[in-house]
Amino acid sequence: MSDIQLYLLEIEKNKKEASAIARQSATKLQNNQLKLVGLIQGLGEYINSEDGAIRAKTMLYLAEVLAAIPQKVFSLQQRNLLCDFILSRITDDTEGLGACTKGLLALEKLGKWDDERVGNIMETLLHNTHPLRQYKFQSERYPVLQLIDHLMAKYRDALRNLHDTTPDFMGRFISYFDGEKDPRNLMVVFSILRVPMTEWNIRGDAQELFDAVFNYFPITFRPPPDDPYGITAQDLKDRLRNCISSTPDFAPYAFPALLDKLDSTSINTKRDVLQTVTSCVTEYGSRTVSLYSVTLWDSLKYEILNTTEEDLAQEALSGLAAIASSLSQGATGPLNAYLRPVTKECNEHLEDAPTKQSEASGRILRKVAAVSAEVDNIIISSVLPNIFTLYQTADTMAKRRGLLEVLIQLLQANIEVYGEWRSVVSSGDQSAKNALAQLGDQALEILTNGLSSAAVKEVSFRLVCVNGLIQLSRVRQLLSDSDIGKVIQLLHDIVIHEESYGKDEIKEAAINGLVEIAHQKPQVVVDYAFPAFMAQLPDIDVAQSTAYIPVLEAFAKLGGEEKIFDRVILRLKNKLNSAVQQGATSKYIVALLSAMIYALNQGASRLKQESESSSYYNDIVLPLLSQASSSEVTYRQAFNDETTLDLVGRICNIIVRPQPLEVQNKVSAGLYTLFRRVSQTEVPPFSTKASAEDQKTMVVSTHLLAAFRKEAMLPCEVQVLLPSLVNFSQTPSLSNIVRAASLRQISLVVNKYIPTPSLKHLLQPVLQSPIDLLNSELLDPSRIRIIFALLKGLVLRNSTLLNTVYPCLLSFLSNPTYGKTVAYGFTTLLQPDDLLTKANHCQISGLHKQKSFALLVPDITSSIRESSTEIRPNYLIALSGILRWTPFEIAVQEVGQMVPLLLQSLDLKDEDIVKEAAIGTLTSILRECPKEIETHAGSLVSRLLNNAIVTHTHPSSTPCSSQSHSISATPAKLRAEALKCLALVPEMLRQETVLPYRRQVVKRLTGALDDRKRRVRSEAVRCRSGWLGLDEEDDE
Amino acid sequence: MADNKDNANPTILNASDLPSRRRDSIAKKREDGGTGLFDGLVPSYNYLSDPFEYPLSSSDSDEDSAEDIDEQEIYDLISSISDPEHPLSLGSLAVVNLPDIHILPPTSPHSSISTVVVEITPTITHCSLATVIGLGVRARLEQALPPRFRVDVRIKKGTHSTDEAVNKQLGDKERVAAALENGTLMNVLRKMLSTCE
Repeated sequence: MSDIQLYLLEIEKNKKEASAIARQSATKLQNNQLKLVGLIQGLGEYINSEDGAIRAKTMLYLAEVLAAIPQKVFSLQQRNLLCDFILSRITDDTEGLGACTKGLLALEKLGKWDDERVGNIMETLLHNTHPLRQYKFQSERYPVLQLIDHLMAKYRDALRNLHDTTPDFMGRFISYFDGEKDPRNLMVVFSILRVPMTEWNIRGDAQELFDAVFNYFPITFRPPPDDPYGITAQDLKDRLRNCISSTPDFAPYAFPALLDKLDSTSINTKRDVLQTVTSCVTEYGSRTVSLYSVTLWDSLKYEILNTTEEDLAQEALSGLAAIASSLSQGATGPLNAYLRPVTKECNEHLEDAPTKQSEASGRILRKVAAVSAEVDNIIISSVLPNIFTLYQTADTMAKRRGLLEVLIQLLQANIEVYGEWRSVVSSGDQSAKNALAQLGDQALEILTNGLSSAAVKEVSFRLVCVNGLIQLSRVRQLLSDSDIGKVIQLLHDIVIHEESYGKDEIKEAAINGLVEIAHQKPQVVVDYAFPAFMAQLPDIDVAQSTAYIPVLEAFAKLGGEEKIFDRVILRLKNKLNSAVQQGATSKYIVALLSAMIYALNQGASRLKQESESSSYYNDIVLPLLSQASSSEVTYRQAFNDETTLDLVGRICNIIVRPQPLEVQNKVSAGLYTLFRRVSQTEVPPFSTKASAEDQKTMVVSTHLLAAFRKEAMLPCEVQVLLPSLVNFSQTPSLSNIVRAASLRQISLVVNKYIPTPSLKHLLQPVLQSPIDLLNSELLDPSRIRIIFALLKGLVLRNSTLLNTVYPCLLSFLSNPTYGKTVAYGFTTLLQPDDLLTKANHCQISGLHKQKSFALLVPDITSSIRESSTEIRPNYLIALSGILRWTPFEIAVQEVGQMVPLLLQSLDLKDEDIVKEAAIGTLTSILRECPKEIETHAGSLVSRLLNNAIVTHTHPSSTPCSSQSHSISATPAKLRAEALKCLALVPEMLRQETVLPYRRQVVKRLTGALDDRKRRVRSEAVRCRSGWLGLDEEDDE
Repeated sequence: MADNKDNANPTILNASDLPSRRRDSIAKKREDGGTGLFDGLVPSYNYLSDPFEYPLSSSDSDEDSAEDIDEQEIYDLISSISDPEHPLSLGSLAVVNLPDIHILPPTSPHSSISTVVVEITPTITHCSLATVIGLGVRARLEQALPPRFRVDVRIKKGTHSTDEAVNKQLGDKERVAAALENGTLMNVLRKMLSTCE
């Protein structure tokens, strides 16, 4: 059988196989086993078949053979012959058009055609196959379009010539594609038509050409679910938009047609129109746009002034800005002609400020003004004076606020165009010609007067004034330093002297304003605000006055600005020194130390630079340490208080933490002596006989110990330190804070300073004899504390020792005397900690929560079931302690087991923390896996109600009255949480599950509506309306 | 659509100017006049908190003091209702105003029934939706107040061309009940109330 026979047999069954046959024929041609003449002659019988399908398939075979032939196998003459042959098929036969054009495309790839050939092909197609839509199959039309697209890409001149020399060519060409509907084909059609649109002279045919594409507007195509071609509506929209915006010749047709469609009710259509208008404006060029600018303004403004959809307003704003941007590339006349009606109308709307439309006008002006320096100048000089006049004659504060809001918009646009002090815009510094320069003084005056003369209760008005002043101070090269100084003065006056009012929004805005100005003009802030702030900070505080607090807060915030961070710290340090020297109260010292911590935290990145931080170490840490541990009376008094020492410790921690190892080793040598001339054995934790005063130094050393790297050299061996700490922390005379600090040191040592291999060995003497912590007979509160302190260190590093310690711990829960104390400790295990952190170089395993949860919770849940009623609460308390800090993703595996237990704990009496944790977990379960709780809905609802509602029980009226006659008092917070959880029930559970409880809940909640506490009432309202909403949906 | 609104360009109050409770209470709480900037420096779960010392500490210290339902609370309940025409709250449109809310104590010592009077101010005098707004306010308060309150919603005198007629409608229990049976009206009300917190 010949190749063509094989091909015809195969093509129906297996396309791949058929193509392989065609490739074989191609190879034969290449090897001269087969002559071209032979090939064509072999086709004869089939190409003249009665059956159209066979004729088409035969041509497909030829096309596939041609596609598989490498270049240079055929001579020019042969290629011409083949081309003529295929064209004759197109002329004579209506079948096989797709195959023929595929063949032509393959031929073209074998050798370039001349212009005449291209024209001939184009004309043959137009003459014989016009219009293309007569071919029903997409697969027939697609190769034709591909061929034309290819010709457009490679033979532009030839086709343009054809158009220039053939009078009726364009008309036939455009109508050739009429009625195409397939998205794949349309993508090609749009790209074909774009060539004549952009490159040919189409004067006479512009409208026809425009209509040919605009007929498809708006694109409403929605790709089928598993669309194999991956063409989205957006692809089509983009191509179509490119066509519409391709030539200014379309403007007379495009703008009216588009604006007409803007009246559509479909948001999608409107969005499409607005985007297309914007790209037309951008592409058509300033001369064309100038003809339509005012018409466009009249239509687009409507979308902003009467906005219903925010994104449409945004698109319309972009359109208006695009017009201004296009026009500002041309002459000034048209630009003015466009901006005149814009500013006129906006000015009119400003007259009735504050309204929706005056607000919209502000947005329009803001967006358009930001286009270029020229536009901004025109708008500033035609709107700003009007704002000033209206402001002066305004009769209400609300109106003045509305006007100033627009002023701020203009200032922001101005900054966008001309830049701010700290950064020049990319287009370069043009501040010299900023039109705002003439009006800046007036704006400053209005804003300054507004801020200082308005009553304190005019919050929103004054907020706007503050914002306006900040923006004005930002504008590059506008205000003089002394003017900015005046603004700063106004702002710090508000911070320092003004009475607190309402939510203190204005003070907050003033502080943030100072920070922003410090960003722009650090030196001016230092010159003006620092003396004012410093004057308000006394060396010694008197008579209970706490007026310094807001000042310190503001000052500390200024530390966030990099350029003045150093100076803020320096001033605070000096102030602290004088306060200490002059015997200020500990309250004042605490406030100063807090301000330092706040500023240091903000400047943490600077502390990482070594050179900087070592100077902080010398200037701040060393003096503070020596003062805190000094025996001089002045210092003793100042640093007597443990809270103060805690803050001192925290400051040292922040600075020492990033220091290199050598420095840390130096600090470590004086860790417990704090560089006093005493022997280490005489100070805690090595001496248990130290005075109460000396014991307090443990608070500072805890923070230092936390700051060191793992590799730091401790002042003594861990073998000695750990038992000393254990003993010291059991000293009965310790204050709570010192004891807590000592226990934390145990956690830190266990976590950071013992390498894993020696962990077991070093903890042996502590856990077993001689100290014997795990002996249940020796259990007492202070030993329980030590156990949990050790565990804290172990849990975070996920130590294998947990496998042996946890079982002991769980067995302690059934201890009749101390079981409950142990139970309370469980909450510490997974609680986040402020000292054992990554930043403090601790070992923290990412999986520690999972591991502890897995080791503890299953055991607890199974123990609860076997436990007696007296012991059971201990387990429930322990469980809640763990759950409190376990992320829900970890807890989720045990949810099924836990739900009944959680519900039980809601019945506990007087265990409010436990209940709170239980409700928290139940809330998460409701949110994340409501299915697990579905079967318990009834008992969940009634228990939540019991905890949510304060019941005044009378002995006779209720069956459960045996408990009490008095008010059952769960705390307000718990009541509110219970209501929050209850509100989730109808939201998360299936309607048929919850509906039976609706009546009961709605009725009993009226009790909660009358709760004594407001926050409970507001939760009750929310909860009740959720339950009330239940059957409404049912009605529908 | 926009053209059919009774008042397409209403005046809007700024959220900072609306009366709110937090204003007073925060100022009272922070006697030092600060904003609490330094409060967060030492985390609440710091090493100093001892779980063994006071395990029952969740109860608030001010648990005993009762906070009575007052005008501000009523305002908070209804000011977040949406206007049926604009996506704005009744508070920001000044349809409900704090001074126009009154709680009248029980008329006799034997009675425990207090009355809440709310006077609403339509944005314009011919507002056709005044009745709907009144109904919405009423429905919200009846859901959210304990039964010992009686609710009386009316249009503020002189702010509406037909205020008396509307008041009659709002005061008539049976007409209100009948109105609440109306499905379309209920849908409007539900949409208005959906923005309540």
